[in-house]
Amino acid sequence: MDDLISEFLTETAESLDVIDAELVRFENNPEDRAILDNIFRLLHTVKGTCGFLGLPRLEAVAHAGETLLGKFRDGELKVSPPMVTLVLQAIDQIKELLESLEATGQEPEGEDSALIGRLEDASMGKLEGAEQAVPEKPENWDEDLGRELRPGEVSLADLEAAFNNAEVDPGMAPEPVAEEPAEVQHLGVGDFDPELGRELRPGEVSAAELEAAFMNAEADPAVAPAAPAAPKADFITADMSQEEALQSAMAELKGGADANHGEGGPRVQQTVRVGVDVLESLMTTVSELVLTRNQLMQTIRGLEDDELKGPLQRLSAVTGELQDGVMKTRMQPIGDAWRKLPRIIRDVSTDLGKKIELVMEGQDTELDRQVLELIKDPLTHMVRNSADHGLEMPADRAAAGKPEKGTIKLSAYHEGGHIIIAISDDGKGLDTQRIGEKALEKGLTTHDELERMTEAQIHRFIFAPGFSTAAKVTNLSGRGVGMDVVRTNIEQIGGVVDVSSTAGRGSHFSIKIPLTLAIVSALIVGCDEERFAIPQLSVRELVRVGAGSEHSVENLHGAQVMRLRDRLMPIIDLHNVLGVGEAKQTSDEQAAFVVVLDAGGRNVGLVVDNVLDTEEIVVKPLSESLRNVQAYSGATILGDGSVIMILDPNGLAGEIVSAMDEETAATSQSATVTELDQQTQRLLLVRAGGEEPKAVPLALVTRLEEFDLSALENTNGRRVVQYRGRLMPIVPLGAEVTEREGQRQPVLVFAENHTSIGLAVDEIVDVVEERVDLQMSSDRQGVIGSAIIKGKATDVVDIAWYLDQSRAGEIQRRSASRRRKVLLVDADAFARRMIAPLLAAAGYDVTPSGGMHEVKAIAEAGEHFDALVGDPGALDRIRKEGLWADLPALAVTDWPEDTQAEGLTMVLPRSDRGALIAALDEVSQEEKVA
Amino acid sequence: MSTQHTASNELSAEAMNEYVSVRIGDQLFGAPVDQIREVFAPQSVTHVPRAPDEVAGLLNLRGRIVTAIDARRRMGLPPREKTETGMALGVERGNEIFGLIVDSVGEVLRRPRSELEPVPAHVDANWRSMVKGVHRLEKELLAVLDVSAVIGTVARKNEAA
Repeated sequence: MDDLISEFLTETAESLDVIDAELVRFENNPEDRAILDNIFRLLHTVKGTCGFLGLPRLEAVAHAGETLLGKFRDGELKVSPPMVTLVLQAIDQIKELLESLEATGQEPEGEDSALIGRLEDASMGKLEGAEQAVPEKPENWDEDLGRELRPGEVSLADLEAAFNNAEVDPGMAPEPVAEEPAEVQHLGVGDFDPELGRELRPGEVSAAELEAAFMNAEADPAVAPAAPAAPKADFITADMSQEEALQSAMAELKGGADANHGEGGPRVQQTVRVGVDVLESLMTTVSELVLTRNQLMQTIRGLEDDELKGPLQRLSAVTGELQDGVMKTRMQPIGDAWRKLPRIIRDVSTDLGKKIELVMEGQDTELDRQVLELIKDPLTHMVRNSADHGLEMPADRAAAGKPEKGTIKLSAYHEGGHIIIAISDDGKGLDTQRIGEKALEKGLTTHDELERMTEAQIHRFIFAPGFSTAAKVTNLSGRGVGMDVVRTNIEQIGGVVDVSSTAGRGSHFSIKIPLTLAIVSALIVGCDEERFAIPQLSVRELVRVGAGSEHSVENLHGAQVMRLRDRLMPIIDLHNVLGVGEAKQTSDEQAAFVVVLDAGGRNVGLVVDNVLDTEEIVVKPLSESLRNVQAYSGATILGDGSVIMILDPNGLAGEIVSAMDEETAATSQSATVTELDQQTQRLLLVRAGGEEPKAVPLALVTRLEEFDLSALENTNGRRVVQYRGRLMPIVPLGAEVTEREGQRQPVLVFAENHTSIGLAVDEIVDVVEERVDLQMSSDRQGVIGSAIIKGKATDVVDIAWYLDQSRAGEIQRRSASRRRKVLLVDADAFARRMIAPLLAAAGYDVTPSGGMHEVKAIAEAGEHFDALVGDPGALDRIRKEGLWADLPALAVTDWPEDTQAEGLTMVLPRSDRGALIAALDEVSQEEKVA
Repeated sequence: MSTQHTASNELSAEAMNEYVSVRIGDQLFGAPVDQIREVFAPQSVTHVPRAPDEVAGLLNLRGRIVTAIDARRRMGLPPREKTETGMALGVERGNEIFGLIVDSVGEVLRRPRSELEPVPAHVDANWRSMVKGVHRLEKELLAVLDVSAVIGTVARKNEAA
């Protein structure tokens, strides 16, 4: 393609983007002359350039648009949304024409008379004299400046004329442009001037050059602070050559782009336009240089040569600087990716009849252009989503007591080596129930799981593949490409996306992405004979285990865990994941390292043999043939020239995280919110199969007994014992519990409503009082999860499951009557999971919830209950909110005597399960009668 | 070997096929010259755990990462002796370079296009899918490799997985 045309395309595309954004601004501030002047000038330049390049269609459309804008500028027409829409349509048409110009190098066939007609009609308006396309100009109007002259100013044309007539003395030449003498030094002398029709005399300056100098002077803020937008319109005159005209136009465009930034004062920067490919290849070269430097450093490390060390240090520093410098050239303000958004929001609000305000903060935050390109689309999609699904119609908003105009706020800032982008709206928030239903429908979860999930966990389903909540597909979104694509795109560049939402208050999406993709610092680890790189960004810490270290990897039912600062962390062994070498035995003889990785916000430990080095690496994409191996995110060449694989923490964690219940996150979350509410539990530690202790909440155990093995009998395939005149089933706590001949069998007796069951264990170890913090939940039956108790990883037994087991086949209590519904509120996840099954076993429908936001959501969903059960604090808050004010509220606590009973129907000790159920039976019965 | 084509003087240059002759196991293969970027000795190949079988590993070819595909494994042949590193044919596909590792590389052969015969139908289908045809040389048969099939299948199989 013609160089001129391609440069024109680049420049014009930028101008049009600016016009788009400026028009939307202008619509909101119709009084702001500066904006309008800027738009007008940009469009005018586009028109002018089109004319010279011989693009009549483009010129005609631009002209019609400009004419309409001119009417605004001269105050002949009032600015109204339909008018602005019309101008935007003209801009769109120009963009379309440009696209096909770019594709074919030709202006496409056809004509735009319909659009032009409408634009002309609009310009004519109702005002008389509007037929005249060009508005009448004041007496001291200056064609060149496109504005009236200020007092004391002289028009360029006059200046030129004076200049030409004056036959200037050679020594006096710089005078007319004395403001900027340096510029004149560069001006050509002795050239042919097409405008004058003769060669320039010595000391004369061509009009075009003069203009250039003049323009520069204008652009200098010190000289012309009053004219940031420096509109300089018709300086392209017919007798200039096309080339010249175009160059002037380009200069004008560039000036315009600069002026555009200058809302708070003109910001003139010396810039050079460089092709992206030049930067890319520079980047590659620098990357190679960095690698070579690394290689050299590695070689020299073993040598005792001081002569080399000095120069090498300098080389290293200079390379680092060069790397930083080149990185900087790749940095672009994120505002570039946002530029199209005001227009999109305007279109959405017009199409859907919503009122939307887009607030943008931190546009100047810079990030690598490669990253910028990759997040552009996801961002646009998310903003569209917020506008389309997040914000309500004005009437609904007013009804909800919110301002009619919804706000979408975009913000960006740096944090560490990352950039954080947040998109929040003050709309209706995510529809938790709908998302839950959809997740069930798509088979992403089960009812049971869903019930146990927090709101935040349910919200995260929107990122699951193939998930789209839009009840109805609109023009804007919901075309099958949903948030899962957004997530995939963001994760591809090593980013993370999360959402938080409050019903009725809006949603907040946050994206965390690395600043650059090209060079990352990495930890080099050894596993068996091989080496792997782990990006430093995902490494939280390194822990030495085995041989003399205080840390060790423990086994929990075949899964590996490690204690790290009183929390259990799942461990994966790189040997196992990759199938290389022998997996480390957890023996104490051999030392190994655990790399604590941040995998999607949670800690996962990775066992490696060795930590070798840290190195700056250049990430190279994975080969097509390896893309399906989840464990890797790329490959790189190390300083010594060898190729190694880069491990992908998320991929590795994928091996286990999916198996890990999200509950971990929930537990830690509620734990931070309600740390003060954390209470200690009395726990019975027993051994039942295997060496690891198991824990049973003592409050649930009625009695401890020991039976002679001979007392145990078999009936109907079950072990039973005669106990207090009744038969009591004996169930082993875990399959490995063995009955040993000649010894007495320890049994935990649980009694409930005249029936009791016994759980057989190997040994009763201890009774402890500990704060129970469930670290990992389990999908094994009969186990609630694992916790650290007395410094050891311990399974917590799910008694309710055993009770249900022993009762299997018995007649359900209250099967005839309506199952009554109970809302269980307890910030303590452990308590929730303890009480909920017990109530369920007693015939209640239990809705567990962890915090007020969940409770509110349940209230908003219009759920009805027969009674509230929970910790006193939570019940008190519900009362204060005025939710379910007429329902009985039963508080369960370990310190009933210390609890204020105000507003509560009854306060019960947590240990007395029977009392709770009896009280519940009573109050819900009363309720029924009343 | 290069003087073997005798009765083809009347054929113009366009009708001739040029092959890099390579050995994989006992079989002589020809890789079309225009598809081969270069021939190099693979050095320090990094094994990639959990990669598909055919991927021998990754290697550094003048600053570019090359995926090495083991032709023997693709052909279902037993692996080479540890001491033999073999040779690699560099093939460019998209933005990537693949290195097809063969036992040894011989000279470039020119054979008339018209003499290319189809692979007999009773030959193993997997093998046949990677071979475009056969030239009858004096002493043995030259099987013409379909280079992109040898490499492409790896990628395609992976996609399906």
